[in-house]
Order: sequence, then C-alpha cells, then structure tokens
Amino acid sequence: MSANIRPAGILDTNYAQDIALNRTRTDKLISNGLFALLLLIPLLTTEGPFGLNLIQQSWIGIIIRIAIYVIAVQGLNILVGYTGQISLGHGAFVAVGAYSAAIMARNLGLPFWLIIPLAAIFTGLVGLLFGLPSLRVKGFYLAMATLAAQFIIPWLLRYPLADFTNGSRPLEVPIPTLGPLSFASDAAMYYIIIPLSVFMMLAARNIMRTRVGRAFISVRDNDLAAELLGINVFAYKLQAFFLSAFFAGVAGALIAFETNSLSLDKFTLNLSIEFLAMLVIGGAGFPLGPLFGVAFVNLLTQDIIPARILPAVGPVLPGLLPFIDPVNINAAISPLLFGFILVIFLIASPRGLAYRWEIFKIAWKIRPYSH
Amino acid sequence: MKRKMLFLLMLVLMIAAALPATAQDMAMPDFIQHTECEVDLTGQTIPIYHFGDLSGSYAFITQPLLAGLSDAIKYYNEHGGICGATLKSDVGTEYRDTGGNREETQAAYDYFSTLADKPDLVVLYASGDAELLRTQVEEDEIPALISAGSVAGLYGEDAQTPGWIYASNPLYADQIGSFCKFVSENPDRYPDPVIGYISWPGAFGEAAYTAETIAYCASLGVTITGTPEYFLPTATDISTNVQNLVDAGANILYTNSLASGPAIVAKTVVDLGLEDSVQIAGVNWVLDTSVGLLGRTTLGSDGLPAVNGLVGSMPFHWWTERQVPGIAFINEQAAANERQLSTQNIAYLLGFGIVDTYTELYIQTVNRVGSLEAVTGADLKQTIESVSYSPLGLYTFDYQGGEVRAVPDNRIAQMAFLNKTMNGPATSGEDALTVDLPDGTKAFIPLIIPLTEFAAAPDLRPGGADVPAS
Amino acid sequence: MATFFEQNKRYLIWMGYILLAVVLLLWLGPLIGEKRPSRWVQTTITGLLTGGIYALIALGIVIINKASGVFNFAHGWMMLLGGFIFYSFFSSGQVSLLAAVLLSSVTVIMVMTMGSWRDLLQPRTALITLAAIIILILLMSLPGTEWKFVRAIAGGVTGAMLLGLVVERFTVRPLIGQPLFAMVLMTLAIGRLLQGFIQLTWGSVETPLQIFTTPEGTSLPTIKLDSLQELLGGVAIIQPGLLISFVLALLAFVGFVLFFRFTNVGLAMRASAENQRLAQAVGLRVRVILAAAWAIAALLATVGGVLQGGATNLSVNMPLLALLAFPAVLLGGLESISGALVGGLVIGFVQEWTNLLFPGTQAHVELAPYVLLMIVLVIRPDGLFGEKRIERI
Repeated sequence: MSANIRPAGILDTNYAQDIALNRTRTDKLISNGLFALLLLIPLLTTEGPFGLNLIQQSWIGIIIRIAIYVIAVQGLNILVGYTGQISLGHGAFVAVGAYSAAIMARNLGLPFWLIIPLAAIFTGLVGLLFGLPSLRVKGFYLAMATLAAQFIIPWLLRYPLADFTNGSRPLEVPIPTLGPLSFASDAAMYYIIIPLSVFMMLAARNIMRTRVGRAFISVRDNDLAAELLGINVFAYKLQAFFLSAFFAGVAGALIAFETNSLSLDKFTLNLSIEFLAMLVIGGAGFPLGPLFGVAFVNLLTQDIIPARILPAVGPVLPGLLPFIDPVNINAAISPLLFGFILVIFLIASPRGLAYRWEIFKIAWKIRPYSH
Repeated sequence: MKRKMLFLLMLVLMIAAALPATAQDMAMPDFIQHTECEVDLTGQTIPIYHFGDLSGSYAFITQPLLAGLSDAIKYYNEHGGICGATLKSDVGTEYRDTGGNREETQAAYDYFSTLADKPDLVVLYASGDAELLRTQVEEDEIPALISAGSVAGLYGEDAQTPGWIYASNPLYADQIGSFCKFVSENPDRYPDPVIGYISWPGAFGEAAYTAETIAYCASLGVTITGTPEYFLPTATDISTNVQNLVDAGANILYTNSLASGPAIVAKTVVDLGLEDSVQIAGVNWVLDTSVGLLGRTTLGSDGLPAVNGLVGSMPFHWWTERQVPGIAFINEQAAANERQLSTQNIAYLLGFGIVDTYTELYIQTVNRVGSLEAVTGADLKQTIESVSYSPLGLYTFDYQGGEVRAVPDNRIAQMAFLNKTMNGPATSGEDALTVDLPDGTKAFIPLIIPLTEFAAAPDLRPGGADVPAS
Repeated sequence: MATFFEQNKRYLIWMGYILLAVVLLLWLGPLIGEKRPSRWVQTTITGLLTGGIYALIALGIVIINKASGVFNFAHGWMMLLGGFIFYSFFSSGQVSLLAAVLLSSVTVIMVMTMGSWRDLLQPRTALITLAAIIILILLMSLPGTEWKFVRAIAGGVTGAMLLGLVVERFTVRPLIGQPLFAMVLMTLAIGRLLQGFIQLTWGSVETPLQIFTTPEGTSLPTIKLDSLQELLGGVAIIQPGLLISFVLALLAFVGFVLFFRFTNVGLAMRASAENQRLAQAVGLRVRVILAAAWAIAALLATVGGVLQGGATNLSVNMPLLALLAFPAVLLGGLESISGALVGGLVIGFVQEWTNLLFPGTQAHVELAPYVLLMIVLVIRPDGLFGEKRIERI
C-alpha cells in the first residue's frame, strides 16, 4: 500500500522537486488544466449562460455528489488507508457534520462559510471521542467500537435531540447565501463544492507528506517499531480519528447545504459500509484512491447501470428469460449488475484502481520498455 | 417443482399472448367513463415516469405496484390508450430502481427532470422520496402523484405550504384521527378506550404519533398512552412491547406498519391471551391481503386467524367489494395476468388507479391546451386541482380546488374471513372457507367489511383545522 | 502511591467492578421492582430465545472468520437464500426430477472434488459420489405433504452446500493472497449478487414459511406457564417456534464443538486457522479446509434463515438481522465458538431487559447491545472468550 511507486531512474535532484506537488511542468499543466475544465462544465449545459447542450444537465448533480463523497472517503482514507485503523462508523460522523451544520444555520443563523469549518471541528471532536477505545483495542474489535458510533449517534439524533433535529421527520436547511448571492441551484452550489473538494484533496495529500502523515504510516506499518522510534502511537491515532471525522464533517455540511432536506434514513450503517467499499475499490492508502473509488461506484449506480445498461437490456431480457416474471427481472437487475461488476472488478484488481493507475503511469514513463 | 410451475406459467403466458391478438380493438368497459377526446393523439406516446425502491427493504410493497402498473398499461394500450396515444413505462427509460438509496433517488430525479422532453408528471412511491424532492419538483414545475405521503413531504416543514406532490390517501396522522373519531362514536364497542401505539421505527412507522394526534384523540375522550413502542421488521417476539403497552393501560393497539408488522402484533395478542380485551387497529396498510396471508396459521379461540377483526382505515374500495365494477374488473385482470394472491394487494390496485388517473388527466389537459406537445407540468397541476374524478371507482381523486394535497376521504373497515357459503364473513373456524396449500397449511380468504361510510378525515397536520387549541 | 497501585492492581480493579455493580443495582433495582415478577420471567425467556438466533448467525460468521480471517457481510443474504431454497422444496407437493438430479449431482461432485477433480477417478470415491447422488435424489423427490420436511431438509442441505462451495470457488478462492480488505469487500459484492438472485427467482413479496405448524396446518400451541400465574402475578408464555429454534441452535453448537474437537477435518480447520503456512507445511490441504468452512457457514446460514423465516417470514429485511448479530460475534470473541453462543444469548437478554426497564426510549434494539459492547471492549479488549493476543497497542 505504498503511495509512491516510482520507476527506477526517476530521481529528485533538488529539494524543491522533492516537495513539489507536481513534479514536472507537464504534470502541473495537466492538473491545472483539468481543474479549469471541471469549472467550465456548468457553462456547457442547457441551463448554462450560453444554453449549450454539450453536457447533460443531470451530470452536474452526479459530479457534485462525487465531489462531496470524495471528501468523506478521503477522511476515511486517512484513518483506514494511512493509519490502518478500521472504521465502520464514518456515516455517523457525516451525519454529525450534516446535522450540526443544519442546526447552526437554522438556530444560530450563521453564514455558511463559517458553518462549514465549525461543523467540521465539532465533528472532529466527536470523532476524537469515539477514537478513545483505540487506547485499548485494535483490528476488528476497534471496527466494532466505531460501529457502536454508527448506532449511538443516530439514536441520539433521532430521539433525545429530536427537538433540534426533527427526529424521524426531515430537517429543512436554509439555502446558503453570500451577500446578494444565493446558492439555490445545483450549478451555483457546484462552484462552492468543487473548489472545496479539490482543496480538501490537496490538504489531505499535504498532511500525508508532513511529519504527522509519516507518523500515521509508521503506525499502520508497524506500531511497535513506531513506538520504538519515539512516536506517540496513541496520540497519533487520536489525531487520525480527529482528521478523519473533520473531513466527514466538511462532507456532511456540504450534504446539508446541497440537499436542503436532511433525513436520518440516509446515514445508516449501509452508508458507512459503502464508504469503505468505495475506498477499497479506489485503493486504500493512495491519495487518489478516494476519487477513483467514489467516481467508479457513483457512476456505476447513478449513470452507467440505470441510464446506459438498463435501457439497452431492459426490453430484451424478459424475452430471453420468458419463464420469469418481467416484474421480478426489473426489480432484481440493479443489484445483480452491481454485484456482478463488483465481483469481476475485485478479482481483476484487488488492490484498487489507484494501484492500477500507478502501474499505468510507470508503464507510460518507462515506455517502450514496459513490462 | 419450480420448473413444472414455470412450464405451466409459460403455457399460460403463451395463451395470454395469443388472446389479445383476436381482441385487439375491443372497447373499454362501460363503467370506465373518461372525458370525450377532442384531440386525436394516435401515434404519440405518453410516458409514465416513476422511480423508487424496487430492490430494497420496501420491495415487497413496490413490486406489486410495478405489476399493477405494467398490467394496467398493457390493458389500456390494447384498448385505445389515451385518445389513441400509447402509454409507455419501460425500465431505464421511464422508470428506475433506487434501492431506497437517497443518492440514487436524487440521481434518478435529476436524470428524468432534465430530459430534453421534460416530464409533465411523475409518480413517487415513498414518503422519504417525496420529502427529499418536495422543493425540487416545485422549482422544476413537475407535479407528482404518490399514494400516501407525510406532512413534511406534502406541506413542508411548517405544514402550511402545499407543494406539487399529491397523495391519493389521507395523511397517516389524519388516519389515526378518523380512527379515534370512530372509537369515540362507538362507546358500546370501546367503553374506555386507551390506545397504545406500536409500530416500526423510522419515518413511516412513527408518522402517526404526533402531538396533534394525541391532542385530537384526547379531545374526543380517547387516550393515547405516553410512550410508543417500536419493533424492527425482523423481530420474532414482541411480547415485551405489547405487555409494556397493556401494563400502561392500553386496550387498543394501533400500528403504522404493514405486511408482517400487524400480523405479529395480532399473533402476540392472541398468544398472550389478550384477544378479548385488546383491539388491534392501524393504518390503511393493515387491512392488506399480505397481513391476512402472513397471519394465517395463528388461530384465535374462535378458530379464525388472529388477524380476524383487525380495524383500520380503508380509504378506497377493496378487492372483495366486487359490486364496484372497477374492482370486479381489476380482479379479472389479476386473474388474466396470473398474479398470485400475495400480489393482489393494495399496491396492485393503486397501479390501475394511477394509469386510469393519468388517462383522465391527460385527456382533460390536452382538450384544454390543444395538443400533447403543449402540455406542461403547470397545466397538469391545474387539471389535478380542478377535477373530481374517481379512477375505476377506487377512490375519489379530488383536491378541493387545490386546498389540500392528500385526498381526505376515509372510512373505517374491519378484516374478516369468507365463510363456506361465500356470502359473508365467517363466525368460526369451521364456518370459514379454506384452501389447502401445498405446504400443509390452510389459506383463509380475507374480506374487508366497511364499518363506516366515506367521510373526510380530520385535518391533523400541525396547525391543521381540526387540531384542538391548546 | 504509584507503587501501591501497581502492587494492588488486581484488587483495585475488582473493587472497581464491584462498585460498578452496586451502582448498577441501585439504578436498576427500583426499576425492576416496579414490574410484576411475571414480566421478569417473560422478558428473560424472550431474551434468551431470541438470542438463540443471534447465536446461530454469530456462529456462522465466526466459522468463516476462523478459517479465513474474513468478516462475512453476505451472511444475511446467505440466510435468506437458504431459507428460500428450503421453502421451494417445502411448499411444493412434487419436485421435478430434473431439478433434483441437477442440484444433487452438481453439489455432490463439487463436494467430492474439493481438493482436486482427479479424486473422482478413484473407483472408491466415484462409487461414494454415485451413491450419495442417488440417495439425495430419492430423498428430494419424495411426494406429498407428509414428506415435506424430509424433502426440504435434503434440498436445503444440498442447496446450502452448493451455495457455500460456489461462493468459495468462484469468488473467494481467486482472492487468496490478496489484501484482506478485498476479500471483505468481496463478501459485500456477494451479498448484492445473492440479493439480485433471490429477487429474480422468488420475487420480493414477503413469503410465509410455515414450519412451526401442527399436522392440521395451524400454529403449534403456545406454552403458557399457567401453574405459575399465582406466584408471578401474570401470564408468561413460551413461543414453541422460538423454543424449537433455540434447542436446534444449542444442538448445532454441541455438534460443532464436538466436530472441532474430535474429527480430523475439524482439527485441521483449527490448525489452519491458527497458522495457514504451518498447516500447509505439515501437509494439510488448506484450500479444502477453506471450502469446507464456507460450506459449513452456508449450512448454518440456511438453518438460521429457515428458523427465522419460520418465526417471521422470508423477506428482504432478513439480512438486517445479521447486522444485529455483529455485537454478539464481538462480545463473545471473533474466534470463539462458545463465545458466539454466549454473545448471542447475552445480546438477546440485554435487548429485552432494556425494553422492559426503559420503555419508550427505543434504546433496546440497537443502542443497548452496542453500549454493552463498548463496556466489554474496554474491560476485555478481546471479547469475553476471545484469544488473548500478546500485542502492544
């Protein structure tokens, strides 16, 4: 699970190169270009200022959801991928972020740009609390301690705190405004969410290159050796829990402002498991892993299966399987396709997409002598 | 086993496929009275867009809905469609499974609402989906139909802002209100009524337990005990929940659950020997076929299934009310399409209701606007709010000129089982008509006996007209 | 001060526990006193009986974990599929010969060739294979309602074995040697596949599985503790279906404890769980053992699915139950079979008592087991019966 796979012969010649985010000018050009392109997307839809129809309007929503989940999964990556602590309660931390943001906006009337960091810090503190058991337990037992968070937090939000959260009923979140600007439409939210998401990705990457990040990795690889080196293992584990929940808090606050209607039904154990699945699919311990994983799963479930495969397969399948009720086929087809694609994918690429990506990059760099 | 059944089914399907070829241009039955078409829409298509949980935890109720929709669409298309236009609803292009996942619900809505030809009307399944999409359908001007919605989904968080979503059943809170009214009007039957609320946890199960319903029922002299009890759909023994409520004084157990939920409440009441002292009641879903089938082996002291005598809301006509021509018609359709008894439930009825409603709404709107292309969501909304129409006689589709978002018509009915002579409810186990099933058990045929006439349910949303002033 | 603490650490910890117990008693005592004794009895009975199902689920998860170190998220769906296979044989009067032949021959051949397909070339193995296939086909095609249990058990067991082996061979085996995460995720993917398969084949409508019935087809009569009514001040009942499930669960446990202690396969499984490489070095066929573990877990899932299906119904909600059994697994200890039993019973017990003592808080189903789990994990980080690992944290 190393993040720095580099072919032999590619060496840093000076310190600036070593610490640079983009090693070469081509890298820099590509990454900046991609970011600019990403920002252009809303202008190319039917509802954009030019009324172009180059990109379907529904893609804005898909990209926004990917960008938000990437932040959450990046948080999980810090904890699971880099520090090696399994968490099954990440969905609950996202819920804390979302509900604390919503309550701050409704009851205190704070502006959204202040709420997002406040909600993130608050969520980080809650995460710290549930990280305390890592003093005593590890491995799957720690996973279960975080699983406890997944049940205790929604219970608190649903029953004892129902006066603030509306309990089982939905909680409406005010539309974020900035002076005269109102971020009501998806396209407007796009320009809050995408830059923030990119910023958080870079932040995560940079944290991992600092002393703290290296300490995380040493805790993951061998906690005994880390302690011998003078690393306070427990303190770093708590820091990882804080950071992980902090990211979850940012994602939660964005979810609150983006959907404008929160419901506890969203933040179930399934969500936590889904986050973990996205991380593993993308590649745990790689900075780009969360992006790959979230994009893969979201595109599959929100676009490729329902909008591309189903319209093609749907009308044909009942004819191929005449002994099965078409109603059964249509109800079962999404889980079947998703499960099947996931199985094939896992067998083909068990280390995640980011690993494949690194291998591909090496192959490109050392071409034509790739293995 | 399976294969033999499948072979039989295939044979039936082949015969069924051959039949319509000979009866292609048959007219609709007389009782289906639509407005006269003024515009001929032959060759055009009217899509029915819908999306919801087809594979998740509510699949058992949405799958019969899908069956009803597809059977109804098939029938209407074979009998002239909408002024000649064909109804269409195919997986992927017109409908989508979201698995109950909110992200996928949002993605599905984004996809359909931004199609080049924007939908004029959509069908939603779940209250949660309605809550999520409430403001969005309003912004996009796409009216939506749903069977039963929540206050927040139909009227917003302040309960005072009617949106673009229209429910064909009364609100869950209003349903418990009409039940309390029924209880207070029958003091001989319920001399000292105390209701214990026992349900599933979550938005749906908890929907009828509100400050307003408690206050309204109290004003009629019906107490709702202080703490509700919630159990998961997987619970095997809920005797602790039931005894908690009975110890708190409850003699009526009201449940806002469906399928196995009411069945296990009834079973527990009989097991604990409380069947003579405790009445079981609930939301419109408790009178469903599934409850009768799932509760079939636990018999009360009279030899009838424990669910016999269940009281609940029945805001539409039911499968057994064959004197209603629409019900007789749907019975025939279910038989012709080889639908099993477990599929013959409320959702299947609603599937036909939706298709018939679509037909009438489109005819009226096209008549007014002049052509199908010119129809917009706002036009359909105008039609929805102005019509008073009864799709197949199932219920009345009437939103009082746009005043309300849920049809308030409701009645209270009771579950019973058909007797041997097939002319009324059985009084004991010997008297009941039973069918031997291959698994060695007997199926009783559930009947619905209306106890009241249709009347408007009280308006019990926060700030509603019938909420007593505190 | 510090030395005093060090020297008397054990006593101090025990004193802490006693203090905790006293506080608990003072807190809960009055609440318990408010309720009639009949409620205490009823709650205890209900708790333990429902705990039996948790224990069965926990056992299935523990066995997979012991054999391969994977936490099986697909267990709930395996339960439902097993339940539906059982149901198909149970509720149809006559099973088609083709289906019986296919199911039994594929399963038996897969079982016999777990190690290598060449085993089939030995005359002795070939003979056993043939005999097993014929016996299974005969059992499965017994006609009429009076043979429904024999038919369904034969079909259910065969189907479960096939399920376990197929899952192992086509999805788990290709991942041997890959990161553990990939394998855990694979169980999630299997869950989705099984979900789709179930909904394709049997639909999503709730299906009653009437196994706890008299020959006339009505529910078994409820056991009422009438003689104790005076003493307890109220009724207490035992649901016969749950009692049967409970007894079957206990039998399964005894069976597995004996299996792991005395049979060669069981010993080999323990050995390979202890250290896969070492086991391989002394000549154990680890691959076979892994396949056997999945087959056994599928069998356990089927038993659990049938019993739970009999107590409620076969519905797509059943897999949620497996999530509720997670704390049972952890409470007992991930590697411990007796721990799974105790864990299951304790979870059931705690849920019901919470419901009795704190009505209306909705804390019983999900909150109480996890709070208990947190407390246990702080006191005993490896669960009640888990193997104590000498590790620094």
